[in-house]
Amino acid sequence: MTQFFQQLSDGVVLGALYALIALGYTMVYGIVQLINFAHGEIFMVGAFGGYTIYHYLLPDNMPALVALPIVLVASMITSGVLAAIVERLAYRPLRNAPRLAPLITAIGVSIALQEMIRLFYPNADRGEPFPQLFPNGQVHFGGVSESYVNCFLVVLSVVLMLALRTFVLHSATGRAMRATAQDPDTARLMGINIDRIIVTTFVLGGLLAGAAGTLQGMVASPIDFQIGFIAGLKAFTAAVLGGIGNITGAVLGGFVLGIVEALATQYVPNGSALKDAFAFVVLILVLVFRPTGLLGESVRARA
Amino acid sequence: MIPMLQRALRIQHTWNLPLRTCQAMAAAAFVLEVVGTNLAWATYTGFPGLMSLSFYPAGARSYVLALSVALALVAVRFTRRRQAGIWASLASFALTLQTLIAISRDGGGLVNVSAGAWITLLGTILGIIAFVALPDDGAPLPSSWPRLPRVLDGLAVVAGIGAAMLLLVYGLSVDPANQFVGLVIALIGGLAALNRLGLFAWLGALYARQQGLSLALIGLAAISFPFTQNGESYWLRVGANVGVLAAAAIGLNVVVGLAGLLDLGYIAFFGVGAYVAALYGNAGLGPSRGHIPFLLIVPLGALVSGLIGVIIGAPTLRLRGDYLAIVTLGFGEIFRIVVNTYDGFTGGPNGLANIPDLAFGSFNFGLPHKVFGITLQGFANYYWAELVLIAIVVFVFSRLDRSRIGRAWVAIREDELAAAAMGINTVAYKLLAFGIGASVAGGSGTIQAHVATQVSPDSFVFMQSVLLLAAVVLGGMGTVPGALVGAAILYAVPEKLRAFSDYRLLIFGVLLILVMRFRPEGMIASKRRQREFHDTEASGSDALSAPPGFAGAVP
Repeated sequence: MTQFFQQLSDGVVLGALYALIALGYTMVYGIVQLINFAHGEIFMVGAFGGYTIYHYLLPDNMPALVALPIVLVASMITSGVLAAIVERLAYRPLRNAPRLAPLITAIGVSIALQEMIRLFYPNADRGEPFPQLFPNGQVHFGGVSESYVNCFLVVLSVVLMLALRTFVLHSATGRAMRATAQDPDTARLMGINIDRIIVTTFVLGGLLAGAAGTLQGMVASPIDFQIGFIAGLKAFTAAVLGGIGNITGAVLGGFVLGIVEALATQYVPNGSALKDAFAFVVLILVLVFRPTGLLGESVRARA
Repeated sequence: MIPMLQRALRIQHTWNLPLRTCQAMAAAAFVLEVVGTNLAWATYTGFPGLMSLSFYPAGARSYVLALSVALALVAVRFTRRRQAGIWASLASFALTLQTLIAISRDGGGLVNVSAGAWITLLGTILGIIAFVALPDDGAPLPSSWPRLPRVLDGLAVVAGIGAAMLLLVYGLSVDPANQFVGLVIALIGGLAALNRLGLFAWLGALYARQQGLSLALIGLAAISFPFTQNGESYWLRVGANVGVLAAAAIGLNVVVGLAGLLDLGYIAFFGVGAYVAALYGNAGLGPSRGHIPFLLIVPLGALVSGLIGVIIGAPTLRLRGDYLAIVTLGFGEIFRIVVNTYDGFTGGPNGLANIPDLAFGSFNFGLPHKVFGITLQGFANYYWAELVLIAIVVFVFSRLDRSRIGRAWVAIREDELAAAAMGINTVAYKLLAFGIGASVAGGSGTIQAHVATQVSPDSFVFMQSVLLLAAVVLGGMGTVPGALVGAAILYAVPEKLRAFSDYRLLIFGVLLILVMRFRPEGMIASKRRQREFHDTEASGSDALSAPPGFAGAVP
């Protein structure tokens, strides 16, 4: 039974990470109905952004707890800026093109980003050990133990998600975002600058992905150019699981997926080898039995 | 940079120089380029194309010379010459610059670049200025291409296909990477220029009038390719690999191009076929399940793949297209992971090796054979086997394309709601497209297993799906020639550019973005094809054709 609760707790940690990334997918999808395939890569580049600051700019003897916020913010800014650039250069010109075009572009962006990091970032193909910026040690609760950094990950994720929720629900920009998601044309008539809202959405998603990048680096150390691919896919699965376009759903989906994966790894025969396949099995099952996700409304067809 | 370049290409009358001045400038550019290409470009021997010799314009210099002669002709009299001229002069500038950089890099500094290269560079710059300054006549369609009498029609078809074939054989023989890059630049610029002049529209109409002859000639050219290789096997092996993937690309084209369903796990269906062939084709190493004759394996692989496609597709095709993209991607990953894990059945990460060559009776596909006194390496047999497969696929595809089913697919792609309202069973038709695409992939996978003599999960990664997709997108979605050309380019050109093989994926990623941005209909646009080949369906506009106001290089 302790085993079960340990997996549950590990699943929550995993889920928090998926949820942070999934928010970016779901927000972008909610506003422009685009699966931003490059989002996983934005997360990956964010991790490298934070690493770059730590490795090349910060003095060596800086206390870890001072460096942590700097690295975190650097990751977030890298991802946020990158998301804005990608939106501006790749997606905006295709705003009115048929749907297949931006989807293919997104795949192109994803590959291009991955390859750029692989080719031009030193050692990105072999993996860079990410600095451990959080004190070692474990929290024990019953028979379950989690490291401090895992706890920090969950706490920070929840804080960021609450911040996002507050922003979307209670700020003027957030209201504009919701209006744009509901009906872009009417929103434009109400004086909302659609282009600005869309960029804001991408940037918000990027900021969260960047934070996830640093967190991922700290809990699963070496970061390489491929970490974005699988993480992105799973986060997307989480977004669909929760009901794509729905912010609460993405968070819920992230946690559910994380827990399912942790439990399946333990209890399914050959589980650890098949680890990465579970997410897709879940995805397919969700699409078969509840295509709108756990919290989603019915999928509206937009002409 | 791209928007800048595009703006430069679209300048309208801003300079307002008189025609005579521009033509004088073009003439000066021409003289400079001819003189420059005839002088030495390098101070040292050993650079490809004998750049240190004067009055011997070989290698990259010959490409510049050819472009400059063409430009001089265009400058005199042609409608729409401005855009064509800009393209060609940009290409000759890029070509000269690239060669100049390569010379100085290989030789160890700019001192190794001789006067000829600088003079040519100057000439090409002058050429760009001349054509940008040229007043745009804005003629909508070039009228300079005559409508030939029927006999000459046929001759023109022969000449066109012959020229393409010669170009291909020549291109394969160009060896040093430097010079090959130069050739690619020259070809892109030259073909784009010819396109602006309307040559390809004219040729397309010609081929449409002479359809039977063109098809026969293209078939003949494809069949005779192994005879051009002097008994070498290198390009035949490449040809065999390209052939398999070209067949798969046509299958993907049905799914993506016709029905508008984005399949990102397509390589997995290909892998299913390959594993079927390996398991039941008597593979020497690994858990083989026995031996089924190859002629049965192909349909079996296709069937198994198709069934899996239907199983995957049935639940997801009810949903919007984006979900399908992700689910297929997920399926591709599941396939790879499962194959990797259950090594009792599939050989695991090591895969299955020593798959025997195909043999019909005493005819072994792997051995060289003599035909008409020319020794042909074993890969020629596979190449021809694939031509048969491609011919079948193309035949089926084109029949489907023009049938009620093909029209239903296009209707679904254009607007699913409207199609459903017209009484089309959208789910059934989408499932059909998906299943057919999967079976084509499975069928070609069975051949691939024998060509490669081994299968392993590493061959069926996501990036392979992306490469196939890039082939379809680059070539032109929804057209058979597009898929073929795209597959040939994406799989054969990298063989020439081994020096840049590390950058291959990066280039493809960027290419996907650029194609979607500037020419979403691909190199061979299906819209035009549809107009030319069956006029009655001219209303079906391409899914990815640009809406009005879309800033694009759509000619």
